[in-house]
Amino acid sequence: MDSAPAASQATAFTNDYEFSKGGYDLPTYPFVAPPELGSKTAVRHPIVIVGAGITGLTMACALARQGIAAVVLDEDNSVGVKGASSRGICYTQKSLEIFQRLGIYDRIAAKGIQWSVGRTFAGNDEVYSFDLRQQSSFQLSAQPPFINIQQFYIEGFLVQRIQELGHVDLRWGSRVAGFTQQDGFATLTVDTPQGSYQIEAEHVVDASGSHTPFHRWCDAAMQSRRGDDRWCIADVRFKNLPPTERHTWIEAPFNDNRAVWQHLMADDVWRIDYQMEPDADPALVSSEAEVHKRLRRQFGPDVECEIVWVGPYAYRSQCLDALHIGSVYFMGDTAKIVSPFGARGGNTGVADADNLAWKLAAVLRGRAPAALLESYNQERLEAAQQNVQVTNRTARFLRPADGMERVFRTAVIGLARQHPFARQLVNTGRMAVANPYSQSAICESSGGLSVQNVFFHWVDGSPGCVNDLIQWADGRLLLLVFGDQSAQALQRLAELTRHAPVRCVQVLGADTRRQSLETVRDPQGHLQGACHVFGHAWALVRPDAYLAATGEAVDSALVRAVEHALALA
Amino acid sequence: MKTQLHLQDADSFYEQLLDAHQGLSSAQSELFNARLILLLANQVGDGRVLQECLTAARIATEAAPT
Repeated sequence: MDSAPAASQATAFTNDYEFSKGGYDLPTYPFVAPPELGSKTAVRHPIVIVGAGITGLTMACALARQGIAAVVLDEDNSVGVKGASSRGICYTQKSLEIFQRLGIYDRIAAKGIQWSVGRTFAGNDEVYSFDLRQQSSFQLSAQPPFINIQQFYIEGFLVQRIQELGHVDLRWGSRVAGFTQQDGFATLTVDTPQGSYQIEAEHVVDASGSHTPFHRWCDAAMQSRRGDDRWCIADVRFKNLPPTERHTWIEAPFNDNRAVWQHLMADDVWRIDYQMEPDADPALVSSEAEVHKRLRRQFGPDVECEIVWVGPYAYRSQCLDALHIGSVYFMGDTAKIVSPFGARGGNTGVADADNLAWKLAAVLRGRAPAALLESYNQERLEAAQQNVQVTNRTARFLRPADGMERVFRTAVIGLARQHPFARQLVNTGRMAVANPYSQSAICESSGGLSVQNVFFHWVDGSPGCVNDLIQWADGRLLLLVFGDQSAQALQRLAELTRHAPVRCVQVLGADTRRQSLETVRDPQGHLQGACHVFGHAWALVRPDAYLAATGEAVDSALVRAVEHALALA
Repeated sequence: MKTQLHLQDADSFYEQLLDAHQGLSSAQSELFNARLILLLANQVGDGRVLQECLTAARIATEAAPT
């Protein structure tokens, strides 16, 4: 394979990061001249991914895991941002479940910090708190509600994993400088340290971030909103650690009654976000001296800490009208930009990638027609729009317009001290969820929900989880049938799995007799609960652990659901 | 008086409420609020509940800085 020399060279680089004055030393990956350089004929690749951030690398890793070849182009020679700090810090259960499937979850869990308690304050009073461990919705997954970790660690783990899996050609130091598209393919001009070359792609995945040139090249229409809210973000290492909890202040006395966020990462680094005066001067509010002053006001005059990184942020939101234009798919920050409330940025990019990867794999393996790819736009545009709406509501609560908006916020905070209902109106960020798909042509109305990675028992009594079954289905649909089946139903299931890319498992209680199907046991009903069904039922689970449909009888509705899920009819 | 959340979609209602005030002068906003209170009170109906709401609003007003 072309990428083999690159892989063996790059594995000599470690994934260890060192603190240095002013930030992390990030690992670097070498530029390796690709075969196209110096060649006159452009090679056509099935998939080219632009951008090796968390979204592009998740996409590449998900394809590699299914044995699908792809080329990744990244202008940099490293993960993370030069400078250097983390962008995203908080990863949801859904993202962690995806990373488990990709084979990097253990590395993330070993490095990251688990947390479940969040507290919100107004002035010196705690307005409300939550403990996600007590919420049954999070409990049953093999993954915790959240892990906080610097984004570049995850990106580094993904690079390692891609190198282990093969199939994907990671090209560093490769900047896309030109783009044209014809019917059925695109041509990219790639600038490298050793000159330019052209590359053709049947499918282009633009995961190059908020400054993407593809919006211009594709004439992409979008909705944007830019406010006057300004924040200063400081990543700080403390000698005496604050509690392992997420703290938010709506009106912090130590920040002139403006908002403050306090959240943790790996390596004892804390992220403190300070809301600034509207339209504040970025250079002034993010000077290290100013930040030290603020830290002393927040943690006391004797606080011992080291500033790892500090920078100003002006939050904004943006959402494309369509995530698929010609051969180009937009994902992550090229699809939408949200204010970083509730971890709805990076986690959405990870889910975008997981959504498109299985569909591209199914099409390229000849299991589904290209029409399946249209559902990427239907499903992930709905998710993008929902995330933009939810984060805009938070932004509005934290920076109310003068007048009635501020009056209502004052009223909410006043009532929240006494009345539980008003605490629910205090909006310091609604944590990201696996967005449901209600408008997808490939989900029935009974489907569109995420299936948690819950545990069950294999027939020998050893534990398994949903991701094991998805792995076993290997890119096919996974059909779970709950309870005893009639002879006729068994025959229909056998026929279905013979003719369609579906693998079927019968899910039984503790003592029920096995029939002629692959069987697992679900003595506590966790699998059934995760699939949102009861009693005799079936659940059709996609490779991204979303339900395509559920139903009761093994009949023609099931056959139709399979056809819809793969855009076969 | 209900003190636990009873709204079906609190964030969505809050957004609708703020949107409804957009473009109004402060006098118009005050009048809007007055009409809204009367409309909602008529939905509640129960005199004892309304009295408790009046008291709770009064207490919160006195506790909060103006």
